[in-house]
Amino acid sequence: MEQTTQQAADSELMARISAGDQGAFRALYDRLSGPLYSLVCKMLGDVAEAQEVLQDVFVQIWRRAPTYDAGQSTVFTWAVLQTRSRTIDRLRARGRRARIVAGSLDEGEPMLPHASTAVTAADHVVMNDEASRVRTAFKTLPEDQREAIELAFFNDLTHHQIAEQLQQPLGTIKARIRRGLLKLREQMQTV
Amino acid sequence: MIPEEQQDQAALYALGLLSVDEVAAFETQLRSNEELRVLVSELKAAAADVSMLAPPHTPPPQIRDRVLQEVALIRQAEASRITSRGAWLPWAIAAALALFCGWLALDHARLSRELAEVRTRDPLAQTTVYVLAPTAQSDQPGARATVTWLKSKQTGLIKVTNLPNPGPARDYQLWAVDANHKDPVSAGLIKVDANGTAEVRFRPAEETSQVKAFAISLEREGGVAKAEGPILLAGTG
Repeated sequence: MEQTTQQAADSELMARISAGDQGAFRALYDRLSGPLYSLVCKMLGDVAEAQEVLQDVFVQIWRRAPTYDAGQSTVFTWAVLQTRSRTIDRLRARGRRARIVAGSLDEGEPMLPHASTAVTAADHVVMNDEASRVRTAFKTLPEDQREAIELAFFNDLTHHQIAEQLQQPLGTIKARIRRGLLKLREQMQTV
Repeated sequence: MIPEEQQDQAALYALGLLSVDEVAAFETQLRSNEELRVLVSELKAAAADVSMLAPPHTPPPQIRDRVLQEVALIRQAEASRITSRGAWLPWAIAAALALFCGWLALDHARLSRELAEVRTRDPLAQTTVYVLAPTAQSDQPGARATVTWLKSKQTGLIKVTNLPNPGPARDYQLWAVDANHKDPVSAGLIKVDANGTAEVRFRPAEETSQVKAFAISLEREGGVAKAEGPILLAGTG
């Protein structure tokens, strides 16, 4: 898998973390905590819970660093999917799915951002730039594909539930998710 | 060319939407299909990109402090475990120590009875977790194993990571070091997959009522009745 400079730097951090380097772990936290926290906030809609989950996620990243395989995914992908999985566990444990589904397409109550001195300005620029690219790419997808992907990714709805909620055949939903993800990947390489 | 139906499954797999059975079936296909693995990798990357659509939030600094503090504690615990592994004694001494522990246990019969009562009431309390780390004889510093042992059922579950293929005509063998047995009791062979991981249930060959430690040794293919090879991983509960 061809890696960008940032991805190679992340992989290097992971290798050092596997060897017990806490400095590397701090650097990875500073780079990824913002986007991972944003994801958890979006999925849980609760700042206090999101902070607990973020803490768990990073401890898990420390523990599981030796299992990270750079040939399988980038560090960012690996960390995001672990975060999402952990957040889904929390959602299920709290039995709050119904509430989340009800508010699936809006942002709910705005959450106050917290000041942080840990993340460098450079990290912010890199992440904002990346987020901007994703938004641009995502907007090129047909609305029905965007809707299906957002429901699947942020709201812990199965494809069966999405089909039911959108009143579409299951096969249609599967195809929308697949086409949407593939197109997003393709667009990310061009924008 | 990957059929569309399989691509659909790959997308659902990347998003974690498949059921347990579906995941198992899909992963079987994945193992033998390089093109499919590449597709899954691409789809997972796309799924991870979707996370960046979330409105940006910055975690408060105290979370960073808490995380770093917790990791520092874990690191400290790991370091002390690694230091102590150099003092791992040969099997005979371990067995003697286990017997000594058994004698101590007898000396605390009252406490044991109370504990047994509590454990009867709460099945979870019967479970003991053993973390196995590389010994001084091991050349696999990244290898780890966790054993969850349920004494009342005489069964356990072992999860192994980063343990490479044992090589031709060799097998990894799990042992229970029990206070009531002179020699470690075989708990079966462990077959790791291509990623060096394994997750298997096991039952020791003989009843083990006071397991002090579990260990993994490298033995000749098919295993042995009494440990002969180097002990690669070991850990107490």
